[in-house]
Amino acid sequence: MNQHKDLLPQRLRPLESLIQEWRWIDKGRAVMLDVKRDKLVEVARILYKEIGAFFKTCAGVDERPLWGGFAVYHIFGIDEEGLDVVIYVKIPEKDHPWVPSIVREVPAADWCELEFRDMLGIDPRGRLTQRLVLPDDWPEDVKPLRKDVPYGYRPPRAEESRPVEAGMYPSGVPVGPYHPALHEPEYFELYVEGEEVVDVRYRGFHVHRGIEKLAESPRFDYNKVTFLAERICGICGFVHSCAYVMAVERAGKVEVPERAEYIRALLLEVERLHSHLLWLGVAAHLLGYDAGFMHAWRVREKTMILAEYLTGSRKTYGMNLVGGVRKDITPEKVPKILRVLEEVAEGTKKVADMIVSVPQVRKRLEGTGVLRRGDAAALSVVGPVARASGLNRDIRKDYPYLAYKDVSFMVPVYSEGDNLSRTLVRVEEVFESVEIIKQLLDRMPPGDILNEEWDIEPGKYAVTSVEAPRGEDTHFLITGVGRPYRWRVRAPTYANIPALRPMLRGQELADAPITIASIDPCFSCTDRMLVIDVRTGKRSVLVTRPKVRVVSLG
Amino acid sequence: MVKPILKLITVAKEVGVVTRKYPYESPLLTEEFRGKIEIDASICWGCGACVKACPSNALTIRESMDVMELVYFAGRCIFCGRCADVCPTGAIRVTKEFELATDELEDLEQVVIHRKVKCPICGKHFVPQPLEKYVCEKCAKGEIPTYMMVCPECRRKVGVKKMIRCKGG
Repeated sequence: MNQHKDLLPQRLRPLESLIQEWRWIDKGRAVMLDVKRDKLVEVARILYKEIGAFFKTCAGVDERPLWGGFAVYHIFGIDEEGLDVVIYVKIPEKDHPWVPSIVREVPAADWCELEFRDMLGIDPRGRLTQRLVLPDDWPEDVKPLRKDVPYGYRPPRAEESRPVEAGMYPSGVPVGPYHPALHEPEYFELYVEGEEVVDVRYRGFHVHRGIEKLAESPRFDYNKVTFLAERICGICGFVHSCAYVMAVERAGKVEVPERAEYIRALLLEVERLHSHLLWLGVAAHLLGYDAGFMHAWRVREKTMILAEYLTGSRKTYGMNLVGGVRKDITPEKVPKILRVLEEVAEGTKKVADMIVSVPQVRKRLEGTGVLRRGDAAALSVVGPVARASGLNRDIRKDYPYLAYKDVSFMVPVYSEGDNLSRTLVRVEEVFESVEIIKQLLDRMPPGDILNEEWDIEPGKYAVTSVEAPRGEDTHFLITGVGRPYRWRVRAPTYANIPALRPMLRGQELADAPITIASIDPCFSCTDRMLVIDVRTGKRSVLVTRPKVRVVSLG
Repeated sequence: MVKPILKLITVAKEVGVVTRKYPYESPLLTEEFRGKIEIDASICWGCGACVKACPSNALTIRESMDVMELVYFAGRCIFCGRCADVCPTGAIRVTKEFELATDELEDLEQVVIHRKVKCPICGKHFVPQPLEKYVCEKCAKGEIPTYMMVCPECRRKVGVKKMIRCKGG
């Protein structure tokens, strides 16, 4: 960044008259704009539509212990500058906090606005609202992320149920509550006319685990949250733990040894290898080509063993601490790593070639689940989904972090936007990752790997984005005393699920499973049950012990 | 163009059988694998550093009148090995053991029992004996070994009394 320290960055000049104050945060990687409530919509519109910033996420924060009110942070990113822009809106009301909704200007803000409404009771005014993440039997007046709600709070068992309406179309095909191949909780209702899917409704957030609240609890400290963050996702856990420690380090101005940054980047790539190969196998399995599935996973197994060799665990590596990593990559390990990389690259080449050349597989990938570039940009999709629809977005290039500034690699971009392009993007990324790891090993500087001398000042901010195998993972952190004051996580699938609607519309029903899987979804999220009485066909949301026979839960 | 089925056959022939017949054959573990931990009761001081560092509460302290127990419950353990990192005496060792399935919950628990030191004045039990011993050794060359064995509360009382005496006398 070559901007003058005291001047608002050039791109943000049109906002100058609308904001109250602004300052650099996060070691000069981000700008925080203080905006009054009545100007928020206008600022968001200019930022999103005129300046062309990309919406990342928003976070509500209970700041009553600090100054007596609530606050909302809207986080945008300007890709071309590698600059994050945080809009800070203060809400003085203690009892019925509200903020104007920006969803009309920024459609991608839909879910996260509903989320702060659920979790903090901050009402986004001027839009339709409904419960999103809280279960239906959660008491109306308890807002879990408020600081006066204890982290161990359990609501009393609710005793009633209320009916819910069936969808608009009579012929809904339920997919879920578990994905047929990914074994994760999700629920899609596909509305069909004949064989064609005409609309789709997603109901997610089945397993909300309250991780953000837990990290603020006295049970945790800065270092322990690293292990909690790693458990957000079973496939890209290291991404979350890296994003979290980087946020703490940047907010708290902790020095990190360069070697540690190289090791982190290397492990992130090892994780990408295993994730993409896993996906390739699952995709083949979904298309009924189980030989492809087994061979993809055979190659993947090598990367799992490599991960264990480098970290001590196949998954949930447990490598990160605030200030560095715990295990060094010693010179003796390098030849073995290189050997495994060769095997993986060669194996992937053969297996991917084999899978894609099967005519039945190819026909079901080609031209199905098309996401046009315009839709992709409007929905702010991330990762391979964006790259397969012609958007050249890669956080590793746009917002270089860790050691990525020192390596050269290609970002595969396809313009077709179908399932085949998403497959090919991932396959090509496997080879790029292999090259990145080789370069990192070659250039790894000597030195320490962990800095344990740190002291973190409370009330500092950081926004970190890490390119997970399935897209951009964003963490927003406000430091507190001994532990984070507020930690907001936006996983990549959160941004990609809304894209399934344009993908699925007009498709054949049989292509729905592979299309859903093609965003490489990772559903982590509060169980809600739907009870359907088989005799009467009545639907109700479960808020008490079911008296009817449960046939479909979703 | 080679037919896909031929490609598959070539690959399959090349790699052969890769599945290992675990548990009849050894599992695919590398030398870096982290499994459950083992606590050497003879070197443990009962300082509680591991309990403080444990992210998942697998290590806890159970206190009763005259005994302090360090409890390791493998059922909660995430096998991160942070306890071994922070242990000042090296009493905690990370093993490669991972076959922990059992039908007895107690099998997953390891307990290190430390007797607590008794205060000669009030008779209350306070710190674990080995920790007390270590502190005594550290301070052996220094002064006030008299109050060493006294619980913090009595020490404060005695100290105050002594101060008053000094001022008065």
